Amino acid sequence: MMIPVRCFTCGTVIGEHYEEFEARASEGDEDPAEVLDDLGITRHCCRRMMVSHTDLVDVVAPYQ
Amino acid sequence: MSGEFDVQIIERDDRQARFVVRGLTPALANGFRRAMIADVPTFAIDSVRFTENSSVMFDEMIGLRLGLVPLTTPLDEFEIGDTVTVALDVEGPATAYSGDIESSDELVQPADENIPIVELKEGHSLEFEADAVLDTGKEHAKQQGGVAVGFRHLQSVTVGDDIGEFDEQEPEILRGAIETDEGEVVLTKEFDHDLTNKYPGTELTVEDVPGAYVFHVETDGSFDVAELVLRAAESLGDRADELHDAVTA
Ligand SMILES: [Zn+2]
Repeated sequence: MMIPVRCFTCGTVIGEHYEEFEARASEGDEDPAEVLDDLGITRHCCRRMMVSHTDLVDVVAPYQ
Repeated sequence: MSGEFDVQIIERDDRQARFVVRGLTPALANGFRRAMIADVPTFAIDSVRFTENSSVMFDEMIGLRLGLVPLTTPLDEFEIGDTVTVALDVEGPATAYSGDIESSDELVQPADENIPIVELKEGHSLEFEADAVLDTGKEHAKQQGGVAVGFRHLQSVTVGDDIGEFDEQEPEILRGAIETDEGEVVLTKEFDHDLTNKYPGTELTVEDVPGAYVFHVETDGSFDVAELVLRAAESLGDRADELHDAVTA
């Protein structure tokens, strides 16, 4: 639904970087790998948290 | 075993550090790692009293997310079991961020301000009061101050003869930090983790250095790395004293 606050595997706080990652890599045209490096998300456990996440708030909001 | 440890810091900033400790046994190194994870207490939100929650998430889901938000923890000022009241009141359309959490204590604040708690649509609102409790990682993983704390053997490189001009050189991938031929400790990222970039065209022997360990420590922002490492060492010492007193009494 919302990006998890921390990486499931290592516990690093990753939630705070999600909006910037979305803006630069998904909506923008930057290379996702370079954006993640730039944000300091270097481990592959943390990177998959960002890359594989889908926000579902807009999907479920009408049924609230 | 000697009583002296030799500590050498390789890289260090507020939340992340890498250092070599010499004169350790594997058991002691692991004890130290575990002390950093489980023995150093941090503040984390533990119980939440919701006044209003009309967001898309259940109270329990928001409670879980709140617990994971790191809070700054000045350990000199508080004891295990102390609580600090925090509160949040956000009305949609807006996103409630960790930075919107207001604390009753100036010293205990969200360590990161931009963590989204929940996105609120038009007509949604979130209001609660919560208690942050100081406790150790032994009690709950959200109270761990250290994240991704680990260590590995320090490896040393011996440079041998040149290999034949037409021989294929296999890559030699290493992680963390290594000790070079000259006895200098360098980060492997300086040569893209492949030793053959640093010493092209030579035979290389990589061996573990006995009793030397490279620690890599990160904190969640509750305090800086130095605080975490020193508190962990202190807790190990305290427990050794406790055992000593129990045995000799
Ligand atoms: Zn991770």
